Amino acid sequence: MSKPSTSRTNLQTDTGRLPGTPNFVLPSPTVAGYSYLTCLKTRLAHFADSTMSRWFSLVALVVLNASAFAEPIQTAIDTLVDSKASGAKLSKPADDAELLRRAYLDFSGTIPSAEQARAFFADKSPDKRAKLIEQLLASPTYPKRMAEMFHVMLMERLGDYPEWSAYLKTCFEQNKHWDAMTREILRASSTDAKGASFFLSKRLENYGQNSVDYSALTRDIGRLFLGKNLQCAECHDHLFIKDYKQQDFKGIHAFVQNAYLADAKTAAVAERPTSGKLDYMSVFKKVPKQTGPSLPGGKEFEPPTLKKGEEYTIKPDPKTKTPGQLKFSPLAILAEELPKKDNSDFALNGANRIWFLLMGRGIVHPLDLHHKENAASHPELLVLLAKEFAAHDFDIKWLLKQIALSQAYQRSSEFPEGETKVSPESFRTAIEKRLSAEQLLAAMQQAMGVKAEAAILTKVNKAFANAPREPEDEINPSLKAALFLLNDPAVLAWLVPSNGNLVERLGKLTDDKIADELYLSVLTRLPASDERGLVESYLKKHAGQREKAIGRLAWSLLASAEFGVNH
Amino acid sequence: MLHSNLCTPIDHQLSRRQWFGTAAGAAFTVAAPAFAETVKKKHKQVLFVWLDGGMSQLESWDPKPNTQFGGPFRAIQTSVPGIHVSELLPKSAKMMHHLALVRSLCTQDNSHSAGVERIQRGDPKNRGVTYPFFGGAVSKLLGNGDSGLPPYIWIKPMNGGFIPKDGGFLGPKFGALALGDGKPPENLLRPATMSVEEDLDRNELRNLVDKKYADRRRKENIEATKYVFDMAAQLQKRRDLFEAPFAAKDQERYGTHDLGRHMLLARRMLEADVTFVKVNSYGWDTHGDNFNGQGSLVPQFDRPFAAMIEDLHERGMLDNVLVIAMSEFGRTPRINGHIGRDHWPEAWSLVTAGTGIQKGVVVGKTNDKGTFVASEEHDIGHMFHTWFKALGIDAKATEYDNEGQPLPIAHEGFKAVKELLV
Repeated sequence: MSKPSTSRTNLQTDTGRLPGTPNFVLPSPTVAGYSYLTCLKTRLAHFADSTMSRWFSLVALVVLNASAFAEPIQTAIDTLVDSKASGAKLSKPADDAELLRRAYLDFSGTIPSAEQARAFFADKSPDKRAKLIEQLLASPTYPKRMAEMFHVMLMERLGDYPEWSAYLKTCFEQNKHWDAMTREILRASSTDAKGASFFLSKRLENYGQNSVDYSALTRDIGRLFLGKNLQCAECHDHLFIKDYKQQDFKGIHAFVQNAYLADAKTAAVAERPTSGKLDYMSVFKKVPKQTGPSLPGGKEFEPPTLKKGEEYTIKPDPKTKTPGQLKFSPLAILAEELPKKDNSDFALNGANRIWFLLMGRGIVHPLDLHHKENAASHPELLVLLAKEFAAHDFDIKWLLKQIALSQAYQRSSEFPEGETKVSPESFRTAIEKRLSAEQLLAAMQQAMGVKAEAAILTKVNKAFANAPREPEDEINPSLKAALFLLNDPAVLAWLVPSNGNLVERLGKLTDDKIADELYLSVLTRLPASDERGLVESYLKKHAGQREKAIGRLAWSLLASAEFGVNH
Repeated sequence: MLHSNLCTPIDHQLSRRQWFGTAAGAAFTVAAPAFAETVKKKHKQVLFVWLDGGMSQLESWDPKPNTQFGGPFRAIQTSVPGIHVSELLPKSAKMMHHLALVRSLCTQDNSHSAGVERIQRGDPKNRGVTYPFFGGAVSKLLGNGDSGLPPYIWIKPMNGGFIPKDGGFLGPKFGALALGDGKPPENLLRPATMSVEEDLDRNELRNLVDKKYADRRRKENIEATKYVFDMAAQLQKRRDLFEAPFAAKDQERYGTHDLGRHMLLARRMLEADVTFVKVNSYGWDTHGDNFNGQGSLVPQFDRPFAAMIEDLHERGMLDNVLVIAMSEFGRTPRINGHIGRDHWPEAWSLVTAGTGIQKGVVVGKTNDKGTFVASEEHDIGHMFHTWFKALGIDAKATEYDNEGQPLPIAHEGFKAVKELLV
């Protein structure tokens, strides 16, 4: 290990912003290889406790790694996951059935048909998996699925609005990048990107005589766009998380405190003029403070002192309901500043959330608790993904594809041979992912060969979706869901042969053919020999009530845990 | 996860929801199968009757006949000499020896939308969290009984369903299971067309599929799944609670109007050992035509409430059940231009009874005209302290742990009202 040089490295070009003077030195980058990286990591971990930000130290690490990593990201993912596993066994690759189902659910929001499954299994081309990913990313089901996924992530079941859903769908049809989306969502303009304003407008509603919950709005912006839950930093510096300061909360609050709901029907958001800084004080240290709008670790924007009547370049017109244009618009600044490439929080959060969507767990977990003491499971990986995500202008589809092509994504969710416990954060074994209400409904319809009415989606949402503001990031079997599957008349109706549905098709087959068709249609795999045997003997036993027996067999698969998760 | 520096980083990798226990946003804790007899006997319960909109104290517990604001109704004697209530409460008057009246309530909020929640959450100090409703709090602090049902059941007109927000920061697990018009939640009951055997059969098949799936995978998912399906089966076993008819005599005593039927179902739930039963009655916001309004509503409350007190007493349940009937505020002494009374949180009343509560007493009083409290004022925070104490919980010594943030269970600026407690 060579002696560290004493010259400072200017990472300005990489970070775009130096948050404080760097007070560490980089060793001279002459040696490449694993041992060098280990040594460097130790060195940097030592410096991480200093006043330097984590982003800075880890970016340094990545810059040096870049020389060691001339490989595509999908490969780098595996190099880093495998090396962190330090020799512990990895699960085998997912078999065709597992991967096909997983990819369809992730990118198309539903399961494949039995025919599609058979075709994929029969395909002998060596690159069929990569071709499958490409095909799914290019399919018209991709934008619909992504729109649903981002709707749940960003709105957390607070409400629906057709123009918002249409906006999201268009974004993914056009592959609009994450920074552009963020910009439009936070700007909440009433003229451009119609529908995007719903993120803010919904949160600016108030009920009865309750006031608008600006605290919740502030928290949501921190959580969803920056990966930081600043809830416990509203009234004082966070008592346990040293990185979360009251200034961080109040700075974001200052961006949104003057936004208001101009018209609920059109989701129109407007801003009152901001005339001064926001006064605040910790409930523990009674020292009066002030802040203009600012992002954590970012610069503070000074609201100008403008005379009353001179705050607008274009005055609002209540008659035509136009919001006008403020000279100083915090929302415009927020929309511009937050998704900038040099905002490491934005890049880290984006990369982490997209990783989570495919891998079932964030590299930082929970997704909204990025801070020094909540160590990432694979720090270098996260920084690499964030850096590359930014370098690719926050191209969501690009990042999804890189992850999907990795071995980590394509791993089985069954344990490695001989193991019965694998920590989820190691990614040695694929993590079973929760299915959204939307995915479940689509998959159930596809499996049972039925078309459900709109009323069923409401029921499914009630049964499978979380309460508002409860992130749907974990598998959470609920009583409601169990009752729905057990007793809902709609579900039970699907088990009655009609209109070419699954049970009708199965009824026309001989006993020995039913198992394969049933398992392929519902579970997207062929049955094992004992499962075939069970189906045949069950049908024989209930030969007098064949229709009902088929119905019960189909139900047992539909209601199974295997169907209900994305494994 | 938010912990002190004492915990190791590995703890940060536990999810919030894992911290609050396993399975299910919408699942409920179920008592372990072996419940000691003594623990069963000591299991405290709460009946919380919510008269939404603001019952008029002047037309109920604190009448001021023949005064400027007293209105047309008279006061009548009760079973406790010296205590009088409105003539609109004849049956409850006969139960006064079981009851305690609080006439000195003085609270902060005169609005429905904010006020209802503030009262039901105990109006604690603002700590940036959403406190649970009293039902969620009691469910958390007392746990489940033996009912096989969730700890917090809400019987109300119109829609039912699961209401997670009542749980506040405690989580959706401590929300309310609302029985709309007393009916069981959607899909609770196996359809009539399916036999018990068929139901068992299909679940056996399902269990086999699950077992095979879980063979080489993480067990938590299967365990959580099994938990909720077991719960569903257990609820199925208690379908009698929803389906069994009531005795005609009881229906007559409680009345066949909404509140009568709902109170009767509430009694059944309490008998089944449900921890917290809330019953809602709506329509009390008599800004206009107050005297006809309250004149109609108060008797609709009086009849089932008195019957309930009588029945609880007969069954010895007043030793274990805490009874509360209240609104979010009272009504103005001043009669407005629509012959109505408006909102009046400054001086109003509630009734409470049961475990830990003094019998046959009045705590606090208003002045002669009923405009303001003339004795020590009591906020809802006082009441929460008192009610927790009555349930055997010391609010000063008990705290919630919200992911490391300690939170008092009742407003720490107040304390229990000694005169109310046994």
